[in-house]
Amino acid sequence: MEPRVKTKANVRIHGNVAIIDVDGDLTPEARETVELAYQRVTSSGVRKMIVKFKPDAYINSGGIAIIINIAIAGTKNGQTIRLVQPSEHFQKIFTMVGLRQYVEIFGSEPEALAGF
Amino acid sequence: MPNEVRTIQLQLPSRLGYERVAMDAAGAAAKLMGFHISRVEDLRTAVSEACINAMEHAHQYNATMKVVVALVIGSSSLQIDVADQGKGMPESVESPDLTKKFSGEQTARGWGVFLIKSLMDEVQFNVRSEMGNVTRMVIRLEALEEEEQGSTESGR
Repeated sequence: MEPRVKTKANVRIHGNVAIIDVDGDLTPEARETVELAYQRVTSSGVRKMIVKFKPDAYINSGGIAIIINIAIAGTKNGQTIRLVQPSEHFQKIFTMVGLRQYVEIFGSEPEALAGF
Repeated sequence: MPNEVRTIQLQLPSRLGYERVAMDAAGAAAKLMGFHISRVEDLRTAVSEACINAMEHAHQYNATMKVVVALVIGSSSLQIDVADQGKGMPESVESPDLTKKFSGEQTARGWGVFLIKSLMDEVQFNVRSEMGNVTRMVIRLEALEEEEQGSTESGR
C-alpha cells in the first residue's frame, strides 16, 4: 500500500544552520527524499544541521536507518546534526539504539537553535 | 474489559504499509485494556517491526502471501502472534551495534528484532503453530495500570 501522502523534506536556512523539515512519516519510502535534502544541505557547505520531525510521525526501523545514515555521513563530512521534536516514544527509541551518542535531540526548534 | 480471553485475527498482504493496520489494531486493543500510552506506543512499534520482518524476510514482499496477526486479549496481558510462512529466524542473529554501523562493519539497518525484544515483556521467535512460523509477543498490565483500569470500570 503506497502511502497516499508522501513524505516531503524541505530545507530552510536560519543563519548558519540548515533546517530540514521532514513532513510525514520516516519509513524506507522516505529515504530518497530525506537523503536528497541532506545532500542539498551538504553541497551548500552548511556544517550545522537540524532535522525536524512532525511530532506524530510514524518512524519504523527503516526510518531509524535513514537517520543513522545521515548521522554517519554527517560525521564524515564534519557536520553537527541535531534532531528536533521526535515524539517521546521515538526519543526513547533513539536513546535505546544509542543515537544520542552521535546526535543531540531537542524538544523544539528554538531550543535546538539556541547556542548552535 | 471482562475477564475472558478474546482473540482478534487479521490477515495482511506482504506489502509495506499494511503493517500499520496491525499496529493500529493492536494499539486500539491495548488502549481498551487500559495500558498506559507509553506501553501502547511500545506495542505499536513492536507489532509493526514483527510484521515488516515477516513481509520482508519470510515472504520477500510477495503480496499474495499473508501475514496473520492474532491479538489474544487476556485479563491482564495482551499476546500478539505474528505468523508467516517462512522458515523462521536463524539460530543466531548478530545484535545491532551503532559503533559498528558507524565504522561500516554493519549496515544501518537491522533494528527490528532489537526493538521487539527491548519493548515487549516477553518474546518468542520461531514458535510453530497451525498459522505457520510465529513471533509471539506479550505485554502485561502493570499493577498501577490494573488499578486505574479497575477504578475506571467501577466508576461507570
